[in-house]
Amino acid sequence: MQGSWKKLYIAAAFILTLALIAGCGAGSSGTPEEPTQQAAGGTNGQDQAQPEEQAQPEAGGEVNIYTARHYDVDAELYSQFTEATGITVNVIEGKAPELIEKLKREGASTPADLFITVDGGILNTAKVEGLLQPIESEVIDAQVGEGLMDTDKEWIGLSTRARVIVYAKDRVDPAELSTYEALAEDNWQGKVLVRSSTNLYNQSLLASLIAIDGEEAAEQWAAGIAANLAREPEGGDRDQAKAVVAGAGDVAIMNTYYVGQMSVSDDPEEVKVAEQVGVFFPNQDTTGTHINISGAGLIKHSKNKDNAVKLIEFLTAPAAQETISLANYEYPVNAEAKLPELLASWGEFKHQELDFAVYGENNPKAVEIANKVGWK
Amino acid sequence: MQIHRTYRTLRNYTNGWVIASLIGAAAILLPILYVMSGLFRPVNENWATVKTYLLTDYVIGSAKLVLLTGFFSTLAGVFLAWLVVGYAFPLRRFFRWGLVLPLAVPPYIAAYTYGTMTSYTGIIQATLRNQFNIQLPHGMMELSSLRGAVFTLSVFLFPYVFLLMRTYLERQSGSYIENGRLLGRSGWGLFTRVVLPLSRPAIIAGAMLVIFEVLSDYGVASYFGVQTISTAIFQTWFGMYDIDSAMRLAAWLLVIIIGIFILERLLRQGRRYGAMSSRSKPLQPVQLKGWAAAGATGLCILVFSAGFLVPVGQILLWATWTYSSVWRSDFVDLLRNTLTGAAWATLVVMGIAVLSAKSVRMVSNAGAYALARLMTAGYAIPGAIIAIGALAVFIGLDELLSPLYVWLLDREEGALVLSLSLPMLLAGYVIRFMATGYNAIEAGYDKIPRTYTEAAQSLGHKQGSTFRRVELPLLKPAILSGFALTFIEIVKELPLTLLLRPFNFDTLATRTYQYAIDERIYEAALPSLLLIMLSLISVIIVLRLEKGRIR
Repeated sequence: MQGSWKKLYIAAAFILTLALIAGCGAGSSGTPEEPTQQAAGGTNGQDQAQPEEQAQPEAGGEVNIYTARHYDVDAELYSQFTEATGITVNVIEGKAPELIEKLKREGASTPADLFITVDGGILNTAKVEGLLQPIESEVIDAQVGEGLMDTDKEWIGLSTRARVIVYAKDRVDPAELSTYEALAEDNWQGKVLVRSSTNLYNQSLLASLIAIDGEEAAEQWAAGIAANLAREPEGGDRDQAKAVVAGAGDVAIMNTYYVGQMSVSDDPEEVKVAEQVGVFFPNQDTTGTHINISGAGLIKHSKNKDNAVKLIEFLTAPAAQETISLANYEYPVNAEAKLPELLASWGEFKHQELDFAVYGENNPKAVEIANKVGWK
Repeated sequence: MQIHRTYRTLRNYTNGWVIASLIGAAAILLPILYVMSGLFRPVNENWATVKTYLLTDYVIGSAKLVLLTGFFSTLAGVFLAWLVVGYAFPLRRFFRWGLVLPLAVPPYIAAYTYGTMTSYTGIIQATLRNQFNIQLPHGMMELSSLRGAVFTLSVFLFPYVFLLMRTYLERQSGSYIENGRLLGRSGWGLFTRVVLPLSRPAIIAGAMLVIFEVLSDYGVASYFGVQTISTAIFQTWFGMYDIDSAMRLAAWLLVIIIGIFILERLLRQGRRYGAMSSRSKPLQPVQLKGWAAAGATGLCILVFSAGFLVPVGQILLWATWTYSSVWRSDFVDLLRNTLTGAAWATLVVMGIAVLSAKSVRMVSNAGAYALARLMTAGYAIPGAIIAIGALAVFIGLDELLSPLYVWLLDREEGALVLSLSLPMLLAGYVIRFMATGYNAIEAGYDKIPRTYTEAAQSLGHKQGSTFRRVELPLLKPAILSGFALTFIEIVKELPLTLLLRPFNFDTLATRTYQYAIDERIYEAALPSLLLIMLSLISVIIVLRLEKGRIR
């Protein structure tokens, strides 16, 4: 009922805007012949297309999401949520920094209720920009592991991934591998593969090392990696694994879930690559392996706060967590969720004990260091 | 004196056409000027980092990419156009339009297709390895970095030069070239001494389109890891969270582009090209025989394969792998969104293009020309930057209209209406792709002798009816081909769509992106394929129209 009124209002608004535009046109030009009419015709056309595309809220209410995660499994979970609760989920997908810019510009008027993205640094940026508010839910507190949410609960983790060392099984003895720091030493010269430093995964890794080892040591590390590269950084994470198998280098720094996805790829060649590389979790005896997190932040000016919290509760429940993990080979944030076979076979590992906020705080520094040491 | 003259000019030209197109111009220029204002905002400390570590390298990167791509695509476009027009060889009639088809493949899709094909697991190396046990040294086959970007951009952008050059040669130059032949020039001499100088305007126009595409390109450059001004803009924005410095970079890019416009204008100064009459005798091609004919056909097959057959075949193969997991019932919506968005935006582009081209023809001074050029500058600005300009203007507009919303719509103070709606996305498209529409109409007007218009007016027709009864029928083919070209561009567009779309508005391009960004190239194949097919239809419509015009 309310919905149809809203639609009517919007249509009325456009007719009015149209009338205004036409009125202005007629008022300012003395000769309102074809041109004004033609211009008006164009605008009219846009407006007619409008109501069709407008989101249609239903009885169960709605929740509006700006997301930088773009997996089929997410869409699947949203539709499961709608089925279970009757709450419509409306989505705009985009790149995280662009969505943050959009949120900032929309200010208090924003229609968004949740901001979902990958990378703790970006989630923290959204928080620091004052876009988020604390999420109060005992259900969530019980479901999500410690350290996998913002310190003020302005965002909640949905899944994690580790950035590990992948090595050629036929040439590298995993006993030779130890830490990220060791890869910057001279004996790995010309053997290390990693993608461009313009990629956020590397920036956050560097940001975490700045927090752990200090700025100076992190810069030396970045310089060492840049010097040890087997080739100029190119391609994505999967390309690094392929290059290891192709013999361009011996070890690559990449995210865990890509190995999982390649192991079930539609391309038999990619499956072969996944079989020929080993996964090594570095820094087990020292500071822990670098992990990063996907999370959902509650928008400060959310108009459907309860629905938004319900959605986070749903997404962090064991069932949804297992679905995400199985489809994407990401690690669940809920300890009750069962791991897919491949992840279980890699075993438990020790990860960095850092507040994800430092990824965001140190990001500009990391970018500057990478530029300075010439890590392309 | 000066003031008086300006006043007289103003009075003479102030009519509905000019005013309407000024309103259109203002709407388009507002976001572009917003970007330009980046130059005048205070400098922050990040700018120093950008200047120290990025600027030189990135300007050099852009310059290399523009020069190399510009050179190769112009070379290919000009040479192949002359081959197809000037000579007869097997399959020539097919290549006349076949060599335009690479336009249907968005360069970013081509980039990841070729990147994956030539990679270690790609079909070429995998076949060599598994069937023939040949292991290529790493780096020999892989398309990457500058090499990959230049190859991809050249192969998929050269048709702009080819199309313009071929049309020009077929329509305008017949008698000159015949005379050249009669006077004893042939082969290489004819090409360098007659054909090349004669077709300078077509070559420059085509090369300019290529250059602007390359300057605004982000997808291909970032895929191959080439550092350009465009990628620097995004590194500043995404890496340092500094949108102000990013806008400043974009503003500098705009300055460079305007510089190129002025350069082009100077190059053409004092020369008037174009045939005296709109009908010119078509050129009679010279028959090639033996090795020459085989060579010509072979070259065309090679280019056609690289630009269309191979990538589309590969995407088709991948699509069969992933069809069952990727196909969702919402593909119908994707298709509908893509089509409606592109169709409406194209209509508006063509409306404004006709208005402003007509106004420029009527007023015909440097100011009007400059204004029209500035309106088309959006073509060379990365889409995401235009999106920020459009967002700023639309949110401002919503604030302005807020009392109205409260009064009429019963919405709360500060509600966003326009900036959550499809018109904002359409406005973004219009700003970004004004150039393709405007250039087509301008070229169309150039072919209509002014005397036609003057004759109609001296016979008592007003501007309106002269336009309707004389110019519009003559412009029709130009309008249609402008429509189709703009439509293709909008269908392929990605960054603007990502940022400006309303809720739940997915297009084929955004679905492709969704997979490709996550390195799931095989899953991206199905939406890519549909996208290519949609542009293919538009390309074929353009070519059909042309055929009709020649007869």
